[in-house]
Amino acid sequence: MLPSDLLLVRRRKGRIWPRYAGLSGENLEVAKRLIQVYKHHVDKKKNVLKETVSELENIGYDYRFVRGLSVLLDRRSEFTCSVEADPVDIRRRLYKAAGKLGLPTTSKQRSRLIRSVATEMKLSTAMVEEAFYADLDSELIMTEFKPLSSEELIKDYNVSLTQTLLFSATNLNFTASGNWQRIFYMVKRLGLIYEAYKSGGFWVKIDGPASLFKLTRRYGTALAKLTPVILANPEWMVEAKILWKYTNEIYNFKIESGKHRDIFGEPKGLPVSYDSVVEEDFAARFEALESGWYLKREPEPVTAGRYVIIPDFSFERSGVRVFMEIVGFWTAEYLRRKIEKLKKIDVSMLIAVDENLACKKLTKLEKSQKLNIVYYKNKVPLVPILHHLEKAFNHVREKQILFLKNLPVTFKESVVDYEEFATRIGVSTESVRTVLTEKTPEDYVVLPNSLVQKNKLEEIEKILERQIKPKGRLSLTEAIEIVESEGVKDTSNILRILGYKIMWHGISSETAEVTKPKDKHA
Amino acid sequence: MIIITLLSGSGETDGKKFKVYARKDKVRLLSIIRLGFDYGTLLLRGEIGTPYGKWDPRVDCYRIKALHYRDVLSYLEDSKIAYRNEVSDLPPLEHLECNVRLRSYQLEGLNRWRHAGMRGVIVLPTATGKTYIGLKAISLLKKQVLIVVPTLDLMDQWRRRVAEHLNVEAGIVGGGENTVRMVTVSTYDSAYLKAEVLGNRFMFLIFDEVHHLASPSHMQIAEMYIAPYRMGLTATYERSDGRHVLLQRLVGDPVYMVEVEELAGEHLSPYTYEKKLVNLTSEEKHVYDKEMGVFRRYLREKGIVLKSAEDFHKFIMRTGRDRRAREALLARNRALKVALNSKSKLNMVAELIKEYRDEKILIFTLHNDLVYRISSRFLVPAITYQTPRDERREILANFRRGEYMAIVTSQVLDEGVDVPDATIGFILSGTGSTREYVQRLGRLLRRVKGKKAKLVEIVSKETVEMRISRRRHRKRKGM
Repeated sequence: MLPSDLLLVRRRKGRIWPRYAGLSGENLEVAKRLIQVYKHHVDKKKNVLKETVSELENIGYDYRFVRGLSVLLDRRSEFTCSVEADPVDIRRRLYKAAGKLGLPTTSKQRSRLIRSVATEMKLSTAMVEEAFYADLDSELIMTEFKPLSSEELIKDYNVSLTQTLLFSATNLNFTASGNWQRIFYMVKRLGLIYEAYKSGGFWVKIDGPASLFKLTRRYGTALAKLTPVILANPEWMVEAKILWKYTNEIYNFKIESGKHRDIFGEPKGLPVSYDSVVEEDFAARFEALESGWYLKREPEPVTAGRYVIIPDFSFERSGVRVFMEIVGFWTAEYLRRKIEKLKKIDVSMLIAVDENLACKKLTKLEKSQKLNIVYYKNKVPLVPILHHLEKAFNHVREKQILFLKNLPVTFKESVVDYEEFATRIGVSTESVRTVLTEKTPEDYVVLPNSLVQKNKLEEIEKILERQIKPKGRLSLTEAIEIVESEGVKDTSNILRILGYKIMWHGISSETAEVTKPKDKHA
Repeated sequence: MIIITLLSGSGETDGKKFKVYARKDKVRLLSIIRLGFDYGTLLLRGEIGTPYGKWDPRVDCYRIKALHYRDVLSYLEDSKIAYRNEVSDLPPLEHLECNVRLRSYQLEGLNRWRHAGMRGVIVLPTATGKTYIGLKAISLLKKQVLIVVPTLDLMDQWRRRVAEHLNVEAGIVGGGENTVRMVTVSTYDSAYLKAEVLGNRFMFLIFDEVHHLASPSHMQIAEMYIAPYRMGLTATYERSDGRHVLLQRLVGDPVYMVEVEELAGEHLSPYTYEKKLVNLTSEEKHVYDKEMGVFRRYLREKGIVLKSAEDFHKFIMRTGRDRRAREALLARNRALKVALNSKSKLNMVAELIKEYRDEKILIFTLHNDLVYRISSRFLVPAITYQTPRDERREILANFRRGEYMAIVTSQVLDEGVDVPDATIGFILSGTGSTREYVQRLGRLLRRVKGKKAKLVEIVSKETVEMRISRRRHRKRKGM
């Protein structure tokens, strides 16, 4: 974050964006020279350093750019007062002496006063003069400087520019690829309010309580503090409304990882790490099982009405999703509130609770709410979790099957692909297959991956028959082409059902041929 | 719709105390209605609306500015709606022993404020004891109070006065401290930054130097605190940007106004003003003319006319884009620096110090550089924004006791801080602002028997400084 007078922006057609420093040779050169200046001024006075920096400000670069970099470098420097005598004490004695004897108006009177204080403190007059204002900011000595590369400096500068612009933000919308727990934790801690919504992905709008009454920049600082946590993801998009005080106009500000990642640098300090040993251990053991469930760490948040639930894990299998949260420290009140939230959504959620921290009230709670609570000590057990997953899977399937059976559907298409159909109505392929096998519509034949009208099947058979007749055989490639041109993907199953046989002359399908055994009648 | 008869009473749920307000007649209870505090705003939960609120779809209930607390309460009472009030979180009351005796004009101010419903602004010149009116109001009202002040110096002063005259320790929020007590003092900045957590902790707000409240950010203090009782104190009600009209809604009307002239002679010591002109040294004059020439040439070339503050702001914006504009600006700044820091001025200061050897002197300058140059040359205690807080306190205390005979300072002492019985002031440079001038004057106007205050302004001849100084006086006349 920089002082606002160092913020460089461009505004055009309702948009605003900081004048980011590209990683060009010229910018890197400025950064490099500044870093050199700082390195060379260790053990020197701050005003000497500032003098040199201001020379760099006046050699053709934008002085606000140079000064901005310098602000960042100041933060990596340590300035201390390094005289032995205490300046405050020296001043007190000098002032008191002058108060008693009268303010000196000639240099003679002045020297006399200095000398009296020096004698009193057993110091030389030069030491008194030196210590007089040695604690002033400009007189401090730089004792330490933590160097960095010029590239890092430029990138830090760009992030700081972004934050400085966001001081004037009235609200912020973002989406990110992960790190949700940390983000929402920050949102809460900063006293902000979020609203989640879908807009080609999971988006969150953030402002504060008083934003309801009028556009206010009050939450700008908090939004600026939140932003690095969002940018620490591999992928993100941030949009903000900026209330530009100089013109009293609203501008749109937008940055996205695709365009800006390079000038902001790598996400810092937040690798995909597990919050706790318990979670890490669980993930490792679960994945080793190869249960057919796909485990995902920190999945996208689930919206529950206005609220957002951020699970630790999600399990996925054929379109069925189950979430799990591992709760380390908790109170009955915490769980009760969590359950209230969960009631609002139709999502299946497991909660793993540390038994050591459990209280008796919970058993009552669990019974009354039919909660999916798994207790653990030290390790989250796999068996009850798999049991719950299986239950959830079957439950979902049963529900879907019931739904499908009651679905008043008549097919017009001659070919129905299960997968396509399943995605269209939002159930699992598995359920579609089960229901259509059990309750096949009239005039249709059930194949493992699709449903084909009998007429269609006959049509396909006729064409194949025509092609095979001359030679008594047909290459598999041609057969596939014929079947697929009729809109069916399930070639081998079609061929099997029509009584054809595939003759393999090697492992390649290109040389394989299709024949029809003579003794068999279609 | 359920109709229930309720009596007033209080109870406890979820460990939280609540009160039910209701009349003995019938009330309509639709569901449990709760009025609560949420980060500087009020939330009205339950199936009910209010004319002061706005529906907040983010939380599915009405949200109200904390400023309207009093209005919402009377609305709910008048409509005979039973509700739980979970808004305030007040520090415990303490016993106050007030030993303040108000002068006639102070009492008049206090009474006008009370008749205006314990809201409103009292306008009195600096050093006429506005603080005492505030202290008296606190002791009469006996409610949790937050006193909001612009500077750390003033915070210290109020803290001292509260201990002296109310016999309780004041809580402090700001300057690294954070304790809330029945009587708490805070800076505008801290009160603004912490509005979310402090907004429901006081019933009474006193804004010292209330003209600060009208700035866009500080006015949110008034909006985000529930306190129904409010008092503003200032010597300069009007702001040059006209924003003081906002104070009516935030604090109340001006209820009492007295001009300097009305009190001078009777309650304040009269003062005289003198301007001393000094010549730049020939070396300084040379540099000044050269640098100023660069600046003027640029303006002439581009046909720029700088007449108003707005013109100047435009010019500053231009320096961001135009290198030559920036060079011109830097040249002007160098020229001004020469004029403001002229050696002749320091020599004049030496003369004046000799002349007023037995008087307590305050020396004002705009630039910190000059403060330290004077401090170093004349061994005068300096106070700037860089002075450590303890040292600043000590300097003021020693000055009060007469151990130090002078203080040199930049702008930090500009407002309200009590520097007793200083009789002479030197102005070495200034910004030409009206308020600054009035309050610097005010600083010197101490009610000490037989004492005549004097203000001496030292101005470099034939420089733009003459114009700044003239502007100061012109504005003052127009006030």
